[in-house]
Amino acid sequence: MTILGNPGSHAVPCAGRTVTRQEVEDFLYSEADILDRWDYDGWLALFEPGARYEIPTTDHRAGWSPHETGSFVDDDWDLLRARVKRLKSRKAHAENPHSRTHRLISNVRLSEHTEDSFRVSAAFIVHRARDGHFDAYVGWYEHVLVPTGDGLRFRLRRSLLGHESLAAGARLSFIL
Amino acid sequence: MGSNPRTVPAPMIVEDWDQLTFRVNREAYRSAEIFARERGWVWMHTWLYLGHETEIPNPNDFKVRTLGGRPLIFCRDSAGEVHAFLNSCPHRGTVLCRETEGSTRLFQCFYHAWTFRNNGEVAAIPDADAYESSDEFRASMGLRAVPRLEIHEGYVFVSFDPDVPPLLEHLGDAADYMTMIEQQHVGGMTTLPGTQLYSVRGNWKLAVENAMDGYHFAPTHNTFVGYLRESGYAVTDDNQYAYDLGNGHGLLVLTGHGGRISMVWEPRFGEDEKVRTERHRAEMTERLGEKRAHHVADESHILFVFPNLLLFDIEGLSIRQLEPVAPDQTDVRAWQLVPREEDPATRALRMKTVVSFVGPGGLATPDDIEAYEAVQRGIQATAGTTAPELDYSDMSRGMADEVKGVQGRSTDEGAMRGFWRHWVDAMGIDEGLEVNGDRPASFLSGRDVR
Repeated sequence: MTILGNPGSHAVPCAGRTVTRQEVEDFLYSEADILDRWDYDGWLALFEPGARYEIPTTDHRAGWSPHETGSFVDDDWDLLRARVKRLKSRKAHAENPHSRTHRLISNVRLSEHTEDSFRVSAAFIVHRARDGHFDAYVGWYEHVLVPTGDGLRFRLRRSLLGHESLAAGARLSFIL
Repeated sequence: MGSNPRTVPAPMIVEDWDQLTFRVNREAYRSAEIFARERGWVWMHTWLYLGHETEIPNPNDFKVRTLGGRPLIFCRDSAGEVHAFLNSCPHRGTVLCRETEGSTRLFQCFYHAWTFRNNGEVAAIPDADAYESSDEFRASMGLRAVPRLEIHEGYVFVSFDPDVPPLLEHLGDAADYMTMIEQQHVGGMTTLPGTQLYSVRGNWKLAVENAMDGYHFAPTHNTFVGYLRESGYAVTDDNQYAYDLGNGHGLLVLTGHGGRISMVWEPRFGEDEKVRTERHRAEMTERLGEKRAHHVADESHILFVFPNLLLFDIEGLSIRQLEPVAPDQTDVRAWQLVPREEDPATRALRMKTVVSFVGPGGLATPDDIEAYEAVQRGIQATAGTTAPELDYSDMSRGMADEVKGVQGRSTDEGAMRGFWRHWVDAMGIDEGLEVNGDRPASFLSGRDVR
């Protein structure tokens, strides 16, 4: 995991204003709620056009690029939209019926990135129930967010797994 | 898992050429006895895929990996030679190397500090003079090498049985399809870091069947087919075939399931890539000749090498290794294999395209996993049933054509039948195969792809 500068930061300057940790936490909590309610159109609306969604493999090391290494998810904007379209289809068999998910987000920290974007790191636990099994996914978010006139948006949504490998049955067919 | 009390379920396979049916006893996916026998027979006496040479490119590189339940060290010694050792200290059995990968000249057991060179020789035994004949003793305590190790086109295979036939004999017709991958690019291929490590709640043979099964593609991957259609590529199953390559190996030759990065362009790859594809394709014809270039470039191949290797030579190239851990659980490891020399834009396109399909986070593989997990749960329905004939899965598709001498299509189940016949043989349970009627001459003559 990348160690972010100024750990514990509760505010960063970005795009000519100050973004607070509380604002980011509210954004992440509402995203979790949207995902748990399986509102994928609502979820896609949290991204700026051209955004990316990534899940590196469990052997990931800092500095690896998805363009040069294997990944679990390496979605550009086209693939991200295709993924959402798929998940909304009854023919996405791996998620029909849907998994039940339950998300906890903690340890939220902000740091500066570019003039118009900032970094967020957070810890997550996602529980998933399906087919008589209950799987836990733990890890870190390493997102890049942009403030817009209409609230925050993802430029990069990245989930880093804390596992050594994915446990039996614990696929990534839903959004982690 | 096995709720059927029979220790030797009979028959395991019923092949009926009068009725044109081929049925597999579902105990094969459930039974703990059969799983134990697979470990003891198949995994102990067959060549197994261990890893790719490019995973340990430099002297002193190592990875640890479990194969057939046995912890191994896969390493390159200081002189550059590739080895596979049991990852267990010869002294008291402690796991010797507890890192997953790295670079080292010496492996030291933390328990009593016995130390070994990366070619297996003992480097140090602390206070060795306490042993009566310390030189002899020391010589007998080297790392235990897996009895056989051979490499074909960079793919490293091992066998726990010192008496298996040479690797190329085992690979047979499968060997050339591995060579064809190596011939795609002048500089050859290499694995990349970023290994997909996951596990499925299904028997390993369900993963094999799924890979050799073009019949499931349209219904199971409906959403992926839709995605390709929207990007301007029409998926088809016409004129595509499945081959039983013998020794349990199987092959699907696909030409209508998607493009191939830098060889067969499709609209989602973008206009820049079209130019690069044409240039590379022309180079291939010049280098390999028209016919060979056609087979290497224009066909997608899904190759199964019995018992634990799947090569997906499709949009890009993925190596998938199956490690059965229980009758109803299989660990899967997947690596991306790429040209050593590649335009960075093509490489980025390749990585994105490959993982958009394969792996537990792709847009297609999760539906395959769903299929084998749903089969594993579903076959409990007929376990120990009072009507034992219901406890069989059907793989008859294409037998009517086979009798007529028509090549089996990718949407038939001929490659699966070849796998199961070999499985019975590898398990040493020939009596488990019941054949009724006359089996037609099979399609073992292979294909002329040279």
